[in-house]
Amino acid sequence: MSAERPTLEELKERKVLSRQRVERSGEVMTVSMGPQHPSMHGVYRAVLDLDGEVIVAVRPEIGNLHRGVEKLCEERTYHQIIPITDRLDYLSSFVMNHGYCEAVEKLMGVEVPARGRYIRTIASELCRIANHIMWLGIHIMDLGTQTFFCICFRDREYVLDLLEMLTGARLTHSFGRIGGVAKDLPDGFDHRCRKVIDFLPQRIAEYERIIKHNRIYYKRAKGVGIFTSEDCYAWRVTGPPLRSAGVARDLRKDEPYSAYDEVDFEVAVEYQGDVYDRFLVRMKEIRESCKIIRQCLDNLPDGPFLARDVTHSLPLKKNVLRDSAAMIQDFYQVFQGPLAPKGEVYRAIEAPKGEMGVYIRSEGGAKPARIRFTTPSFYHGQALPPLVEGEMVSDMVAIFASIDVVLGDCDR
Amino acid sequence: MNAAIQLEERFGARLLESVEFRSELTYVVASSDWVEVLRFCKEAPGLAFDQLDCLLGDHLPERTAAPFEVVAHLVSHVYGHRLRVKTSLTEGQSLPTVTGLWPSAGFDEREAWEMFGIVFDGHPDLRRLLTVEDFEGYPLRKDFPLQGTVGGRIRTDLRGKI
Amino acid sequence: MSDPIAQLIFLIIKAILMPVLIVMMVAFIIFFERKFAGFFQGRVGPTYLGPWGSFQSFGDIFKLLSKEDLIPAKSDKAVFRLAPYIIFIPAFLVMAVMPFGPVGGQANLFGYRFDYVIANFDAGLVLFLALGAIAVYGVVLAGWSSNSNFSLLGGLRAGAQMISYELAMGFSVVGVMLMANSMSFVDIVNGQAGDFWHWYFIPQVVGGLIFFVATLAELNRTPFDLAEAEQELVAGYLTEYSGMRWGIFMFAEYVNLVVISGIVSTLYFGGWRAPLEVLDFIPGPIWLFIKICAFVFLYMWVRWTIFRYRYNQLMSIGWKVLLPLSILNLAVTAIVVSVAG
Repeated sequence: MSAERPTLEELKERKVLSRQRVERSGEVMTVSMGPQHPSMHGVYRAVLDLDGEVIVAVRPEIGNLHRGVEKLCEERTYHQIIPITDRLDYLSSFVMNHGYCEAVEKLMGVEVPARGRYIRTIASELCRIANHIMWLGIHIMDLGTQTFFCICFRDREYVLDLLEMLTGARLTHSFGRIGGVAKDLPDGFDHRCRKVIDFLPQRIAEYERIIKHNRIYYKRAKGVGIFTSEDCYAWRVTGPPLRSAGVARDLRKDEPYSAYDEVDFEVAVEYQGDVYDRFLVRMKEIRESCKIIRQCLDNLPDGPFLARDVTHSLPLKKNVLRDSAAMIQDFYQVFQGPLAPKGEVYRAIEAPKGEMGVYIRSEGGAKPARIRFTTPSFYHGQALPPLVEGEMVSDMVAIFASIDVVLGDCDR
Repeated sequence: MNAAIQLEERFGARLLESVEFRSELTYVVASSDWVEVLRFCKEAPGLAFDQLDCLLGDHLPERTAAPFEVVAHLVSHVYGHRLRVKTSLTEGQSLPTVTGLWPSAGFDEREAWEMFGIVFDGHPDLRRLLTVEDFEGYPLRKDFPLQGTVGGRIRTDLRGKI
Repeated sequence: MSDPIAQLIFLIIKAILMPVLIVMMVAFIIFFERKFAGFFQGRVGPTYLGPWGSFQSFGDIFKLLSKEDLIPAKSDKAVFRLAPYIIFIPAFLVMAVMPFGPVGGQANLFGYRFDYVIANFDAGLVLFLALGAIAVYGVVLAGWSSNSNFSLLGGLRAGAQMISYELAMGFSVVGVMLMANSMSFVDIVNGQAGDFWHWYFIPQVVGGLIFFVATLAELNRTPFDLAEAEQELVAGYLTEYSGMRWGIFMFAEYVNLVVISGIVSTLYFGGWRAPLEVLDFIPGPIWLFIKICAFVFLYMWVRWTIFRYRYNQLMSIGWKVLLPLSILNLAVTAIVVSVAG
């Protein structure tokens, strides 16, 4: 099925049919999908102009979940911003924490100890697995069956239980800290995590068996929603949609951070750029994540999980009431917060949905002067018109599910 | 770095400032050179910055001459290098749009306008993106209070209508 | 009391009991659908009201009755009110011609002959097809009268889908008609006398499968439930209906489900006949009930397992696959029947 690698021209040609439908359209009917809609992923509004079943124009409207995160961050110290980053892409919170902490550590010049880096990798990959399983359930539910959604959520529970064991929360983890992570791996985590990551690849094989060769899914997803690599660059579409178009760009390999340069994994790439390939890419990513976690657990170094940097990171909680130096550090970090040097920094990481970047401009104080979260869903939501115009309404649901937009990510 | 050499060769003194901090390269250009520099970055074969990672606005009230700033982050898929290009604007000055080069700037510029009041000439659809349509003010400016300017409103005008 | 008066009394009793029984059955079928959905999906379904949650439907009915009856301001109010009933009533009417026990024969109830059918109509099959067509009116009128783009789209899609699949349905039942040499349900069941290998599902296996798939489209059930696809058009032609009006649509859908399961079992699986002659002592209605339950379960199983087709794929299956196959089935049946005599 994905044996032939189409060239860019061939992919563009396949898209020409849908362009022709747009040009042939007659009188249009305007339908508003959203903001409350069982299929839209959050409160995303798409105003469609329909000619029969064909979509002639789409005008996306976002902003229903805008919470003013960037303004809030300007009044907070760098430690206090971490729970805010949780709420960006709330389905993979730790990854947002991770991205923010990477950017702040780059700005302040803090080095994360080895154990901290490995724990961050493990938690990020668990978030990635949870995100992709949930994506699969929602995608298939949008195509018509609720049964598969319930099955996927059952499997996601295993991963969420692990995350709860590690971070204390299922959804908004707030686990990252400047200089490392909040807590060490608890007892029994290693054993339980290994059980889950041994079990998950079999489950993924089962999902693939159900869906990959399912005639109905094949008809609904193959050749639908083709987005070439040039379109992806122009519209800043990254992550699985970019990799499904044949570009092997994964920031975990290209600009490695945490422990990603010390583990061995493959980048999932497909070449057709349609919904079917995005499904294949995400399934492969789950398997690769299981591999990464296993390698991290096998090679986990000893040592501190949080940098012992007095000016930039928090002390260990157990020392705060016993040791006066730790108490002073705690007081300083909580009341004033770490001071960043004057300058600006931009750091992007590979979030499950795409590339998430954080831009911080600091004037030398304890609070950032300007912070900007460049989230993948913002651009994916913007890329809906070129993806969907000329396709049919039922395809729109499948395509929109495949590019994975979450409104917390989009509106910030 | 290769990108730095090529840009300095081409623009020379029009690159008003260049900063390298934490191994990131930043150039400041005048607003009249904005589109030309970015177009060169995209189209020059040695640079090939084919993706605009993000474009954002900024407000520095302490810099009274040109308090507003627009920052563009570029990344190249071909070479893998990154670049930041900035320009400063006075109050009310507008900047030409780069949606012709990278369509992804559409939403970015809308957000910059909505949050700071920076107008982008030639933008196809410059209106409020994230806030309500009838919002007044430019939220991310430093003189806009965090709590907002309208306070808690009970919409008595909508009673019986919803 | 003379025979005609006895027949009249029996008729009245049957005519009252039948809808009541169907409504009771539908209430429990709605509950079972949710329970089976839960089991298929790894959860338990409703458990709160009654033992194992079995009174869930009654709770739902009370809730729906207590809701505000919203009629959109700019809708065509008369048609809006009428549309649910156009779907609801024809479903019951088909049950009037379906036999649930032996018809004709000697006196068997208080000395008077009791026919296990409400109306022994000569052209029962044609009535079934005709009433199915009337249901399409209800769907399209519901969508149109709601004065909303979504509803209109949903109504038109549903209407077009139902009409397309009715053709395949019609052609496949003509095969059964040829084998039984009659259009009356009573004769069709009588023609399947004997053990289960005399039933029509063996010679008409292709026709039976086509009929099953076509009725999935008639019932607007997955994989053909585009008209009420939640994810795509909120609720399609039902969007503007609230409270008990929506309840009537839901009820009508499940009544249709029961009726069509009854039709499938009557046409292809021997109706009220027992699978083996030795089991004849169990009365006919019980066998029909068992078969209806089995097919209802089959329809539910298909619904909770399979994805939804896209609209143009759905229409192309109806016109390009099912219709030619059913005509072929008809031709082969006609040839075999005329050769075999």
